[in-house]
Amino acid sequence: MLFKVLGKKEFTTFIELLLNDTEVIAPKQVGVDTSGKPLHQYLPVQAFTEIDLSYETTEYSAKTYFLPFRENLSTCSFLDMVWDRQIKYRVQPRAIIGLHACDINALLKLDKVLAGDRFPSPYYISRRKNTFIVGIDHDPCEGGFCQAVGADVVTHGFDLYLTDLEDRYFVAINSERGFNVLQRVKTREPTARDNNDYLDVRRRIAGQFKPLEVHNLPNLMDIEFESKVWKKWADKCLSCGSCAMVCPTCYCYGIEERVSMDNAESAKVKQLYSCQFLDFAMVAGGHNFRPDRETRLKYRYYHQHRGFVEAYEEPLCVGCYRCGRVCLAGINPTDIIGDLQTEYQE
Amino acid sequence: MTSLFRPYYIIQESEMAQPLDYNRRSRLKHVDQVFRSEIINIIPLTDMEKLFQLRILDGAERERFSFLPGQFVMVEVPGYGEIPISISSSPSHKGYIELCIRRAGVVTGILHKTRRGAVVGLRGPFGTHFPIERMRGNHILLIAGGLGLAPLRAPILNVIENRTDFHDVHILYGTRQPDMLLFNYQYEEWNRISDINLKVIVEQGDESWTGPVGLITDLLKKIRLEPLETYAIICGPPVMFKFVCAHLQREGIPMDRMFVSLERRMHCGMGKCCRCNIGSTYTCLSGPVFDYWTVMNLKEAI
Amino acid sequence: MKYLGIEPKRPKVGVFDFTGCEGCELQLANKEETVPAFLQAIEVVDFREISSTSSDDYEVALIEGAITRDDEIRRLKEIRKHAKLLVALGSCACFGGVNRLKNGYDLDAVNQEVYGTEPKETLPTQAVKEVVSVDLEIPGCPVDKAEVERIVQHLIWDVPYQFPAYPVCFECKQRYTTCVFELGQLCLGPIARGGCHAPCPAGGSGCWGCRGPAADPNLEEFLQIAKDRGFKKREIKERLSFYGGFEDMP
Ligand SMILES: Cc1cc2nc3c(=O)[nH]c(=O)nc-3n(C[C@H](O)[C@H](O)[C@H](O)COP(=O)(O)OP(=O)(O)OC[C@H]3O[C@@H](n4cnc5c(N)ncnc54)[C@H](O)[C@@H]3O)c2cc1C
Ligand code: SF4
Ligand code: SF4
Ligand code: SF4
Ligand code: SF4
Ligand code: SF4
Ligand code: FES
Repeated sequence: MLFKVLGKKEFTTFIELLLNDTEVIAPKQVGVDTSGKPLHQYLPVQAFTEIDLSYETTEYSAKTYFLPFRENLSTCSFLDMVWDRQIKYRVQPRAIIGLHACDINALLKLDKVLAGDRFPSPYYISRRKNTFIVGIDHDPCEGGFCQAVGADVVTHGFDLYLTDLEDRYFVAINSERGFNVLQRVKTREPTARDNNDYLDVRRRIAGQFKPLEVHNLPNLMDIEFESKVWKKWADKCLSCGSCAMVCPTCYCYGIEERVSMDNAESAKVKQLYSCQFLDFAMVAGGHNFRPDRETRLKYRYYHQHRGFVEAYEEPLCVGCYRCGRVCLAGINPTDIIGDLQTEYQE
Repeated sequence: MTSLFRPYYIIQESEMAQPLDYNRRSRLKHVDQVFRSEIINIIPLTDMEKLFQLRILDGAERERFSFLPGQFVMVEVPGYGEIPISISSSPSHKGYIELCIRRAGVVTGILHKTRRGAVVGLRGPFGTHFPIERMRGNHILLIAGGLGLAPLRAPILNVIENRTDFHDVHILYGTRQPDMLLFNYQYEEWNRISDINLKVIVEQGDESWTGPVGLITDLLKKIRLEPLETYAIICGPPVMFKFVCAHLQREGIPMDRMFVSLERRMHCGMGKCCRCNIGSTYTCLSGPVFDYWTVMNLKEAI
Repeated sequence: MKYLGIEPKRPKVGVFDFTGCEGCELQLANKEETVPAFLQAIEVVDFREISSTSSDDYEVALIEGAITRDDEIRRLKEIRKHAKLLVALGSCACFGGVNRLKNGYDLDAVNQEVYGTEPKETLPTQAVKEVVSVDLEIPGCPVDKAEVERIVQHLIWDVPYQFPAYPVCFECKQRYTTCVFELGQLCLGPIARGGCHAPCPAGGSGCWGCRGPAADPNLEEFLQIAKDRGFKKREIKERLSFYGGFEDMP
């Protein structure tokens, strides 16, 4: 990987360069919660001053710029017995600034499902390849357990990655595209001091995480399949699906078809869904494979921490803790995993 | 100043130019495309089920389309949805495929109202198949309950077409009532083939019914098995295959010689929507055909 | 227009007003670009002007509004006799709606407050289903035109329609709304039926549950959450009874 050092003033120039050229998405403060904590979201920005790179976390993950909540897959025009189909992929280039390591790791996991060898998704690939990603290092967010699931560092999946060294940024370059864009502003080669400062920051960050035992989860989930822990938490679950909506890695969906009122055309719309909804596994005739909250909640953890490991040798969860933060009922991965570990120990 | 980023046009990718063929598990990227297929014939089977004969419109695509018994296709009616349906015809049959569809909801409801000549979309084939090649030189039990005859018909036809490859062949079929029997016009033909033992049973007879009355396991009890030289394929509702498999297991047939086809909600057939997951296994990719040992090991399977 | 060789039905639809604001009916005339197509798909027979309901010139009866008077009960029973499909349109018809609020008070007092010294005959507000059997309920205050269109589409092709099973939160999240609980407000989103695209939380007022409860709502936990966040019992109860959709819940 190539490294460069970018002064703070040059960084502003760099962002303005992007803003003049393309759609830019960045963390932006959208309000404060009841305790006075600022709330952030990744949103389109028009000026450098709208961007707040010191954000702790965002309410929503950035996945929706790759997997929109609703996406038109195709439209069809009808002609009595036949029909004609049109498909459009999104190709407009876009830049996302300020993704944290967990969110970039989440994209890498989505790549495995959606851009792998087996039935890759053209919709996803088109968005992914047309998105320029600038990541940034940061101190752990409250509740985050990305280190435990190996998602606190990221070595690819981005174009540029920034580490804040107070008066300058240490920039890791991971693509030719990133290299070329960076050449438009003044940078310099890192010195020994830059390298030392960079490593210090990395060490400081790495040292702040709380430990959470997750490596035995695939096995544990099987052993604790009938555990009381699931019922205890599921009794609280509202089946609202908010956890999956804000999660950077949940990718499952449903399809909604819309026919125009004059029966001349239809749209096939993909809508991100959640396994917490009652009808997620319901089939025609009314049989439901997961009729109760307990099996549904358990299934979410099963998919995140066991199923994905089985398929790709790593959990789907990147430990961002957004699901725990958003849950009105206080259901969160650290407590559930903690409970499972305790029960296992006993 | 030139633009910073050159747009990436996925439709210009080489994989997009390749002909659509779902049997290629490669980096084929236009998996959102369907084979436009016309309904060439509709054959009512019962009040609830109809057999649809579908022909892929494009000649080259039709030539390339091939499947194995037990696999399914996603049938799309634009504007109403997309559903998984097992292929009911013989894999050796080129030209058109047959789907036996029960009226159950929106898409199946629309399909039941369509006319000959209507065009629908097909994607596939998807999923695992019954390993007929592995079954050569053995006795074969083909057991179906209710709508289970739809997915079982492909292996039945496949076995009949290659009859010399197998020893004894038993086809056992059970439904609730006589008027629910599927493909009853074919029993006569299957029965006349010497050396195929076809038995049909219903749970509740009516005035015209002269055959046996009871459960499918009653038919099984009458068959002398050589368990270690037998393969079984069981298609039907979970309660039915559970009973049948338990019976066969007691008779000594190893669990990895029994195959069942599982049903789950599906929206993609390609391991993307997660709706078909059993525990953490994709029914559309690792199934729908599983051996019974695997089913026993799947959490929340039955 | 035919599709795949299928001829759609063109049902005759009678629209009947009871006690409500007619907002739902207005909603049907809304979205101008699709109104002609909508009226092409069904034949609307307006019964507002006609006092008699004995004409059996309709297959589908759309009932708008809640039932609050004796003559309304008689009229509704008459309509039921003729309609093959009776549809309750809007929250008033489905649950009694806002009209139901008066049930919580002394009726005579309400009467006096509203009509002064010339009280009108009034009964406790009833939902349509409390008087006759209902084949289909389309809740919403007002109803969502797009949803009505979709239901009509399913009706003319004669295939079943299913309402969303998910609660309002789902669609609320999908429009990037900051949860109003975070801002210290009450919201019925987690237990209210979705499909409306969550306009109220986005507008900052939280959901009032105009579409009734979601499929399998976890009311117990919801009450606990609201309590833990410091909302008063009265406040929660008022919210739950606003449209009358949560009336049958324990
Ligand atoms: C591998 C497989 C093979 C099948 N083979 C056959 C067959 O040969 N013949 C036959 O009649 N039926 C078969 N089915 C069942 C058939 O898919 C459902 O009856 C059908 O999806 C119902 O769709 P609908 O739109 O009419 O029902 P609705 O209730 O309106 O369903 C809405 C949507 O839910 C999903 N869905 C509902 N039920 C099922 C289900 N049971 N399985 C999968 N998805 C479902 C579909 O995406 C459907 O579009 C098979 C199912 C699977 C999984
Ligand atoms: S775990 Fe929490 S956020 Fe997720 S569905 Fe249940 S209540 Fe909603
Ligand atoms: S499951 Fe929760 S902690 Fe894990 S990635 Fe998703 S939102 Fe983050
Ligand atoms: S955990 Fe549940 S919501 Fe998330 S991707 Fe898996 S099935 Fe979907
Ligand atoms: S504002 Fe209401 S509907 Fe939206 S997420 Fe919060 S509780 Fe749910
Ligand atoms: S958010 Fe609630 S009150 Fe508002 S329209 Fe939707 S269901 Fe009705
Ligand atoms: S059908 Fe979509 S993942 Fe299996």
